[in-house]
Amino acid sequence: MSERPNDEDDERERITEPPAAPREDDAQKLDQPERERNTDPPSVPRDDDAQKQDQAASQSTRKTKKKAAAAESPPKEPEPPAKEPDLGTRARAWATSNTDPLIGGGIAAVYVAWLLATARSLGFSRDEGFYFTAAYDYKRWFALLADAPLKALERTSIDPIWQNNHEHPALMKSLFALSHTLLHDRFKVFEDDSTAFRFPGMLMMGLALFVTYLFAARAFSRRAGVIAAITLGLMPNVFYHAHLACFDVPIMAMWTTCIYVYWRSEKEGGLSWALLAGIVYGLTLETKHNAWMLPAVFLPHALVVHGRAISRHAAKSSRIPIPTSLVAMAVLGPALFVLLWPWLWNDTLPRIQEYVNFHVHHDYYNIEFLGQTYFGPPSPRSYMPVMIAATVPTISLVLFAIGAFDRARALLARLAWWLGEAWGRMLAWPKAAPEKDRAQTDLLIFLAIAVALGPFVLPRTPIFGGTKHWITAYPFLAILAGRGFDLVWTRLALLLAKRTTLDATKRIAAQVVVVACCFGGALATTVHSHPFGLSAYVPLFGGTAGGADLGLNRQFWGFTTESLAPWLAANAKPGETLYFMDTAWPSWQRLIAEKRIPETLRGVSSPAEAELSIVHHEQHINEVDYNIWTEYRSSTPAYVLTHDGVPIITVYRRARGHR
Amino acid sequence: MPLVGIVELVLHVKQTTSDVVPASDWTAARDALTTEARPDDLVIFAPFWVDPIGREQLGDELAGLRREARPDESRFARAFEVGIRGAHREELAGWKKTAERQIGKITIGTYENPAPVKLRTDLLELVGTDRVTVSRVDGASETACPFQHGIGQPGGLGVPQGPAVPGDRYVCSSGAYVGAAVLHALDHHPHLCLFVSPSGAGTLRIRFAKIVFGSALHGHSGVQWVNERTPSAERITVAFSAFDRPIGQNVHRVGAGWTGFEFPTPELAGQKGDLVAEVGAATPRSYCFEADTRDVP
Repeated sequence: MSERPNDEDDERERITEPPAAPREDDAQKLDQPERERNTDPPSVPRDDDAQKQDQAASQSTRKTKKKAAAAESPPKEPEPPAKEPDLGTRARAWATSNTDPLIGGGIAAVYVAWLLATARSLGFSRDEGFYFTAAYDYKRWFALLADAPLKALERTSIDPIWQNNHEHPALMKSLFALSHTLLHDRFKVFEDDSTAFRFPGMLMMGLALFVTYLFAARAFSRRAGVIAAITLGLMPNVFYHAHLACFDVPIMAMWTTCIYVYWRSEKEGGLSWALLAGIVYGLTLETKHNAWMLPAVFLPHALVVHGRAISRHAAKSSRIPIPTSLVAMAVLGPALFVLLWPWLWNDTLPRIQEYVNFHVHHDYYNIEFLGQTYFGPPSPRSYMPVMIAATVPTISLVLFAIGAFDRARALLARLAWWLGEAWGRMLAWPKAAPEKDRAQTDLLIFLAIAVALGPFVLPRTPIFGGTKHWITAYPFLAILAGRGFDLVWTRLALLLAKRTTLDATKRIAAQVVVVACCFGGALATTVHSHPFGLSAYVPLFGGTAGGADLGLNRQFWGFTTESLAPWLAANAKPGETLYFMDTAWPSWQRLIAEKRIPETLRGVSSPAEAELSIVHHEQHINEVDYNIWTEYRSSTPAYVLTHDGVPIITVYRRARGHR
Repeated sequence: MPLVGIVELVLHVKQTTSDVVPASDWTAARDALTTEARPDDLVIFAPFWVDPIGREQLGDELAGLRREARPDESRFARAFEVGIRGAHREELAGWKKTAERQIGKITIGTYENPAPVKLRTDLLELVGTDRVTVSRVDGASETACPFQHGIGQPGGLGVPQGPAVPGDRYVCSSGAYVGAAVLHALDHHPHLCLFVSPSGAGTLRIRFAKIVFGSALHGHSGVQWVNERTPSAERITVAFSAFDRPIGQNVHRVGAGWTGFEFPTPELAGQKGDLVAEVGAATPRSYCFEADTRDVP
């Protein structure tokens, strides 16, 4: 990481300087954000005259250069054959020119390895059980597609299989199925079926970290990129969801990737980035319905970036030009959405309507917030901000606040400057022309956060999903935290420079120490939260017990059942029946199949049939607790599973001979 | 800025180690209360979320169903509050603290009821005995609902699942029943009470025999939280009578939560006789009530 203490006004430019190690070729081209920002976004045609003049000038220049080169070149002597660089040199050169992908990929790889290492100790959530079942079904269809493609494409083959869990699109469940086929059945990489199903979700977390790093590194600095990835990875709730064969982390990854690709298409121009934006948007739509909100990010952004060019063009040609990336997303996105989801191949419009209706009129589930269980509108407006403050490590939020303030100030300065120019009268602030960013990166980042969080200030938006429903905002929160760290480090570096003389190595060591001090708490909290990630609250809120004191949700989805395994192994008798409460049947079956809990236990769906009954503690689930008391005529638990002294599951045992 | 991270780390270490109450503290608290608590004392845990651990550690003797699913605290002359994290139960707010001691991280407070009562008869204790008969009344016709020892229906995998139907219950030919079960009240607390299921057009009559009356009939009523949480115009009535004279009737408004009632019965104090409770017709949901006779100061 390069350090050049400088005055704060020049911070943005300084931080976006290429790092100390020289970059070559593509990397050099890709990693010069400041220069790129000062180029016109190329995807909207400028007015014709300007284009023609540019083309003529460009052709003229090229011709002149060719002639001059021909005239000046002396006759060449035969050169000795160039020596082929050895493998090490080539590897170093490749690594040098791909530094950012390597750093981002490295962070992602380490994190995915961490997820894999901890997956076995995390039980299955309700929804995972349903997606496992769907993935098994979809696997059958893919096998049929390989064996008898024409038969697979018949409605009689598609509908019975793809109607399973047709309230969600197909991409992730198809990847779960593919991963199971390849990594479990064929290559036997994973012993557990569940790990094979979960692996694509984990890779999606890797993708989210990778793109978050790249975005922050290209927008601000590599340091910001690294900190952004650390920030995103060290959130207990995110760490929990990143394990799952579900769609929340995947949509976070795809949301971020889609915005990143759109941003690159705005900066780079060209058809290939625009087409890529269209494809990625289609995949995002195919991941989860949050993707339908992305136009609320892109359209205002495009209007600000291209507004002037659009109005000029429209005035001359009476046509409104639309940025190529938006066209690609509008065309390819929905097309891919339908193409990749076999359920939509028949009765397409009614089924899309059904899909929309399902999510627009989704049931409200119970969720506790500040001691009250909410089960319908109006949702409390404070839910989202309080839950973010309670679950995202405080250091991350403080760094985010610093970064957000800095970028909001820059954005406002540009707006004020633009207004001054438009009115022909400069405003009192800013005094000097602010840095230019024609890709409006800051605006894009703020829009990405606002659109992800915005629905949760509306009273009709259900809040039952806890933090996972706005998880798409977190990569951008992390990116601004990265920027915040940049600013903090700059100040610290100035202080250090005044008091000490540190060489480059010691400066790097000092940065590592500062990062460790900043994120040691977040790391400890995240590590410790496993496998009770949803029960974890940040130290500022008192940790898990603090969350319980405040009446915040303890858990949902019944995934903690597996954590009873040691007690069950020691205390449950072979053949005993267990009422597994909030755990879904398919999740229970998988727990048994993978011997995560004693396989001699027999799961039953009512305490009336059970020798052992469990309660996953949530406020509204007290009902189950009390019903067990009625059934067992006792309120005394056989065991209480706790996390930091807070009850997670209570186990009751029916008194002998008591029926 | 690194200080923020360091503070987070220090707080985290504290919250996950020294702040957690060890099992040995609970054992010591149980030992202390086992020798001290009388059967008519209340043992209560603070905060409410630690209740499962308290029940597990202190066991049925000290924290059994009757204490946990009590109708209210008024029947107890003395209470032991077993608290952690400096928490206190608001139910004891008006009580006088007479002692407090620390056992590790657990604080045991001793409280005295400022208005102790003498309980004469708790109706719930009679359920299942030959002193309770249930019948369904349709106009002039009265049909007995015999007591049955059957299989309970405590719900399935989904929530909300409604109140458990107790295995031991009085069953009417119409399918209606009366039985003791634990209500999940609007405030999410448990209350053992007598559930009366919908009985169609008829009235369910519950006769409690040989009741010793006090100066008041004290009770509570409610419906399951999932119904209570959506207030409605619905009203459910229970009417009490004794010696062929009405004592009073309580009208429960759905949405009010677990609410108390008390009818003065000074003229009956010391008498022994039958108490009849009639739950009104056309109730679309299970309704729960409990009552006792007592001498109030």
